[in-house]
Amino acid sequence: MATQVSETQDWPGRYYHIDQVLNTPGPRTDPDFLAGDGVKNFLRNQAKILVIGAGGLGCEILANLALTGFKDIHVIDMDTIDISNLNRQFLFRPKDVGKPKATVAAEFIMKRVPGVTVTPYFGKIQDKDEDYYLQFNLVICGLDSVEARRWMNATLVNMVDPENPESLKPMIDGGTEGFKGQARVILPTITSCYECSLDMLNKPTAFPICTIANTPRLPEHCIEWASVLEWPRVYGDKKMDTDDPEHIGWLYKVAAARAAEFKIEGVTWSLTQGVVKNIIPAIASTNAIIAAACCNEAFKIATSSAAYLNNYFMLIGTDGVYSYTFEHEKRDDCPVCGGQALEMTLKPETTVEQLIEILVEKQDIQIKKPSLSTPTKQIYFQAPPQLEKATRGNLEKKVSELVPPGGEMIVTATTLPFSLSLRISYAT
Amino acid sequence: MRDPTGFSWHADFQNGWDTEALQNAIDKCNNPSDPTGSGITEACSFLTVSNATAASQCKISPQVDEVIDGQMGKLPGCNPLQTGPQDAIVQSGQGCSAIPSDGSESGDYDRNSDRPKVDQLDRSAPDSKTRRYDRQLRLWAASGQSALESSRILVISGTATSTSILKNLVLPGIGHFTILDSLKVTPEDAGNNFFLEGPSSIGKSRAEETVRLLGELNDGVEGKADLRSLKEVLDSDKEWISEFTIVIAHNLEAGLLERLSTLLWEDESYPPLVVVRSAGFLAEVYIQYHEHTVIESHPETAQSLQIDKPFPALLEYAMGLDFENMDVTDHGHVPYVIVLVRLLEEWKKTHSGSPPSTYPEKQEFKKTILAMRKKADEENFEEAEAQAYRVWTPSNVPLEIRDLFKDPKVTSLSPSSPPFFHLVNALAKFTEEQPSHTLPLTSTLPDMKANTESYIHLQKMYKKRAEEEKAIFKSYLQVPVDNDMVDAFIKNSHALKLLRGKKWGTLDADPQALASAIETSPKQLSAHLALTALAAFASKQQPNTPLSPTEEELTAEAQSLLPSGVDLPDDFPAAVGEVVRSPTADLPNTAALLGGIVAQEVIKMITKQYIPINGSCIIDLIETSTGML
Repeated sequence: MATQVSETQDWPGRYYHIDQVLNTPGPRTDPDFLAGDGVKNFLRNQAKILVIGAGGLGCEILANLALTGFKDIHVIDMDTIDISNLNRQFLFRPKDVGKPKATVAAEFIMKRVPGVTVTPYFGKIQDKDEDYYLQFNLVICGLDSVEARRWMNATLVNMVDPENPESLKPMIDGGTEGFKGQARVILPTITSCYECSLDMLNKPTAFPICTIANTPRLPEHCIEWASVLEWPRVYGDKKMDTDDPEHIGWLYKVAAARAAEFKIEGVTWSLTQGVVKNIIPAIASTNAIIAAACCNEAFKIATSSAAYLNNYFMLIGTDGVYSYTFEHEKRDDCPVCGGQALEMTLKPETTVEQLIEILVEKQDIQIKKPSLSTPTKQIYFQAPPQLEKATRGNLEKKVSELVPPGGEMIVTATTLPFSLSLRISYAT
Repeated sequence: MRDPTGFSWHADFQNGWDTEALQNAIDKCNNPSDPTGSGITEACSFLTVSNATAASQCKISPQVDEVIDGQMGKLPGCNPLQTGPQDAIVQSGQGCSAIPSDGSESGDYDRNSDRPKVDQLDRSAPDSKTRRYDRQLRLWAASGQSALESSRILVISGTATSTSILKNLVLPGIGHFTILDSLKVTPEDAGNNFFLEGPSSIGKSRAEETVRLLGELNDGVEGKADLRSLKEVLDSDKEWISEFTIVIAHNLEAGLLERLSTLLWEDESYPPLVVVRSAGFLAEVYIQYHEHTVIESHPETAQSLQIDKPFPALLEYAMGLDFENMDVTDHGHVPYVIVLVRLLEEWKKTHSGSPPSTYPEKQEFKKTILAMRKKADEENFEEAEAQAYRVWTPSNVPLEIRDLFKDPKVTSLSPSSPPFFHLVNALAKFTEEQPSHTLPLTSTLPDMKANTESYIHLQKMYKKRAEEEKAIFKSYLQVPVDNDMVDAFIKNSHALKLLRGKKWGTLDADPQALASAIETSPKQLSAHLALTALAAFASKQQPNTPLSPTEEELTAEAQSLLPSGVDLPDDFPAAVGEVVRSPTADLPNTAALLGGIVAQEVIKMITKQYIPINGSCIIDLIETSTGML
């Protein structure tokens, strides 16, 4: 059986299309490009590539990589298949609902594209250590969460050892929303990283709690009331499962009743689900565009057959086809790749508690529940409970009593794989 | 005995059949002359047979939490035993309503008619089709989905690019697709097309193989392989092509493409043609259509609130409020719309009827807003200051919409004109004859700092007025138009789109247009000319000879299109070099990217939502950029 597979693997003509760009350089190809067998051998027999996410982008990425000749592909995804994935995640069928995405996607690719090995891991990226990530030449991310991207980005930046060029792993990141999307190439420590561009993200819509509790005006306010206030009141510590139709049904009913009470129109099942799950519209075509752009960069980086993207491609398909390709600049005060501390000017009377609020609000940091310390002492820790209790007293103190002007403060959070260094000064 | 209480509604037998599947199986299977005749359910294409173990795993969770096993003391609810023969009596009192009035649980079905209530879709958990399409319904809603589901798409050739396009159309659920392809799968096809099964597909019909594998993506889509050549169809059955909703052609031979595009241009009612060309890292997408109208363009900007021209009820309400003696809490909850209407009216009284216009005036106006605060933290007044621009931004009809009014199809209306033109004509009259000279008011109010009562009250005033203006608008309509369409039209009347396209090849036949494109879009034109030169060169070759043009040959082809004395753009060598490097390469990544771009455009064309391209979209995957020509 094994010999049969290998015989059929690279049939004559298999790479007829790809080989046209690998046999000859183009007018804009780097002079260092070594056309011919060397580059084909590297692509097909040596390159090892990691795909993060086997969802909307991931399915597309895996198929493209397999067809372009990558033979050793690994994929990580912690999710299982849901029926709402089937309008775009084309490696999955109704019979696969409930199964792990990574496993089903890997099996499908291996069945469809002979000779390609896809190694799935059904779990979290955080389960893997540096040694694991070091084995790959390239990482492509097709993720749907900011947090996972930040983790992956910081991990790859931290992995860079200036003594060892092999430790620098290019990260290609894609993302989509409706008819819009972006693809970018990150060369850790060399180009702008994911963290550098955090302020480009849209601020998530947050409704003030007093609006939700006292003066609802929109159907969304009623839904938030049901999920943020009523659920914990009625169910206590029981965790809400936004994938459970019964939970959504309950929230919908409660929200609809509140809306009726306040004469607010527009609470529907679909809106309820959209608000509590923070659903982002997604279609196959946009994913195809962004995944193709990502894989094209992976192919160009792996083969040098053409210059790769420097470094950001943004596409908007709502009004014609509009795209913008530009170089996103590295930030010197980027907490991940910048090396410089973030300058922060506070009022002398700002308390530790107020500083925490400022940090949580800050768009270019996006941190939840930060813990604070200086190089010599602990200021406030969110956990463990004993430490929280021991440091709680500092919340009311002024920062200026604890940190001298020009002093350093270190911010950490469980959601971040790095610590943020602040240089504190005081407005006079 | 009748049971008006509803509590004795019971079921001795229930089945979970999809009525359509069952009816089809009865009508079309169970046929003595085919394998289903002897009761082989597996042979019936309308049934999917699962094994018993799998089937027993399939459970539905109860909607009502109640005891369903064993002997029960009484039936659920407020339901004493009643004997006949007279009708049962409906019990009254707390908890005795058999038919819940709050829309909860079992109240979604009207027991008297067995039919779902009208708003059932909104009230209960969505069905499996809605769940499957949830992420796209949030973009184009049920109306867009139904347009997709009734569309029929013809794709010419089963290349990697063609199947990539179709994949992104089959997944969201088009009605039907046909692949027209007379060729057999080659080893080269098997290497770059995901909708072929590697070596095992080699030698089989490319249309049949790709249709089969694309079909697996969505049971709700009908796929058909047509093994004729395009030439054969154009020679003897060209009417057939006009029956599709849209036609897509990838890397078609230039002569055939010309014949096809000429045919589809002949009649305005013929389908649009999407021309897709690619070679290596370069590609082009063009849509040939006479005209494309869009009501639901999904604009980023909302309609004007018309604060500068408040409707009478709004003005009266704003002027009637006693801010001075208002309760402090209420004062901090007056919506900014009311604040601005009031202050503008007062301003105009002392400024000969004009709104603030100069910079100092605007600053002064803003100061009067903040001066109204009773407490420093009244957020509604801060919001009013931030929104003050609405006072001096006139709610005029946008220029692009006024241009629409002058369109010949709008000015010379006939009863058979499409509804879009009737609606625009009515809009033109409305804006001309109504005293405000604005677009009809819409009831969509953004969120603002206010308490529930004042916000809902304002919303109601807008809604009422919007209804009145809608009635006036409708009175200008010369033909009846579907009410949902009128609603969508008014809501989007600031962002309507009328696109007029050109026949494929118009640019290449117009040396002056080419010369001017050299100035305006040299990069895009270079890629376009390189692809045109390649197609022209290929057409002149003997069929079945390898295509390997030189740079000189293609440059000469491109140069021959330009007026004498005009040079090719400086970017041309870079483009033509790529085309010469990979003249027949349908690269998987280029194919996938084109698959996405073309599918997006086709979806926009079919749903008539969002705005499709008008012209050529040029794609360069070396720079990773796109641009319009």
